Amino acid sequence: MNSMNNIIEDIKTKFNPINTEIVKKNQIAIDLNNEEVHAVLSYLKSQGWKQLTILTCVDWIKENKFQLVYILMNWEKSITIQVRTKIDRDNPKFRTIINIYPGAEMYERDVHEFFGVTFEGNPNHDKELFLELWDDLPPMRKDFDPLAYSKKKFDVRDYKVDFIPKEGEAE
Amino acid sequence: MKRQVKLFLGPNHPGMHGNFSVHLYVDGDIVEKARPLPGMLHRGFEKLMERRLWMNNLALIPRICVPEPDINEMVYAMGVETLAKVDVPERAHWIRMIILELARIANHLMALGGIGGPTGLYTGPNWATADRDLILDIFEEITGARVYHMYIVPGGVRKDLPKGIEKKIENFLDYLEKRLPEYDDLILKNPMVQARTVDNIVLPEEVCWELGVTGIGLRSSSGKPYDIRKVDPYARYDEVEFEVPTATYSDAYTRLTIKYKEIQQSIRIIRQVLDKMPKEGPVRAKISRGSALRWRVPKGQVFSHIECARGEYGYYIVSDGSNMPYRIAVRGASYPQGLLGIEKYLPGTRIDDVAIWLDTMGVCAPEIDR
Repeated sequence: MNSMNNIIEDIKTKFNPINTEIVKKNQIAIDLNNEEVHAVLSYLKSQGWKQLTILTCVDWIKENKFQLVYILMNWEKSITIQVRTKIDRDNPKFRTIINIYPGAEMYERDVHEFFGVTFEGNPNHDKELFLELWDDLPPMRKDFDPLAYSKKKFDVRDYKVDFIPKEGEAE
Repeated sequence: MKRQVKLFLGPNHPGMHGNFSVHLYVDGDIVEKARPLPGMLHRGFEKLMERRLWMNNLALIPRICVPEPDINEMVYAMGVETLAKVDVPERAHWIRMIILELARIANHLMALGGIGGPTGLYTGPNWATADRDLILDIFEEITGARVYHMYIVPGGVRKDLPKGIEKKIENFLDYLEKRLPEYDDLILKNPMVQARTVDNIVLPEEVCWELGVTGIGLRSSSGKPYDIRKVDPYARYDEVEFEVPTATYSDAYTRLTIKYKEIQQSIRIIRQVLDKMPKEGPVRAKISRGSALRWRVPKGQVFSHIECARGEYGYYIVSDGSNMPYRIAVRGASYPQGLLGIEKYLPGTRIDDVAIWLDTMGVCAPEIDR
């Protein structure tokens, strides 16, 4: 617990986080402004958070924001940090982090495909990965309705009953 | 004359693991460019989970990873318990460890025997499948199902162990311990397997950090015991003794031997669990007043992770306080090596070694596609 407080204090003196939180044992969450994300990520990488575990996105549709979540793991101190930031939902754009964590490339493509967030500077950000020939809203957005999509995309098939057993006949 | 040929590997190929495909651009028999093509197994689990109740999801999540489904239930339960501040009964922790370690053995057996596929040693998979079946028998007796158990639930485990199962598990462990040297003779000491794997497909430590490779890949190249069970212990892994096998030079053969050693360690863990676990007591805490289907999990965002057979496996769980999850993101352990790893580091390999590459790096299609 003590070392986690030290890390939070360290971040607070060097940067201006909006909010910090101890989520559970060995886990911290830091909410940041958009401009500071890259600086904090490079700083944490130099401090031993060498691994980007996952980059993902949460759609807060009521606030009209997307929240990007970078989860970093430090194997020496065994502390996980969630670095979170909220970006505008109408024009979702963010700068790539592949110069800091090269492994983020595929996660960024993943988020681009499922949420429509553009990562500027990622050379392959708009290439297809999972969804071939997708022609609708990015499917993980909250306003995408899978039921409506499948009704629009696939016709309702009529099934003809071409065999009705007669009386006394085996089914 | 240089002539590049495009070759489709998968989705139906004895060397592929699951419905996953790689386009190889080859010159002669050297791969020059590789393009992973996931998506054939994409079932939209993350979206489906947002539209189901917290307890309904239990029937869905084990299907994300086929050979080792219990890890999904465990990370989900751990994350939800953190958010809802549920205390798990002592005995349930130990039962969970038995299930997880049995699943790890089953998975490692498949992977160890599975190297027989790409190397042409078909006795390996046959033996491993038969021995894995004994574990499935134990699972069937404990949970009622062979592959997808839905046994670890938020608040504990679904029901107590059946009577006399401890004896059966011990018998199986004795059998497996006698059986393991035969696997050693068949696979690890086999000159043909050695010729194909020793000094082949080397994974340097920098590549692990660059991509985010965890698990056996990271441990075998860095020489450090980077295992979540040791680093950030969950359940009661801090109360049992076990070693994390490591190495400082990671070729395909090292990674195979580490799998073999991890099976031995898992046997050791289960023996200690059977010895140390409380013999009776509750196994499931009541999570809410009234029906569990109307259960609302308090607001919060948490990342829970455990060590699966291929590395760090995690769920990012977001709750907005309603009766369904707001968002769940799955971090499959083979995501880094399965996508970026194939694209960047598969080139340079010979065609016949591509299947060994995929097998020993631990690429598992269902957890990449989700």
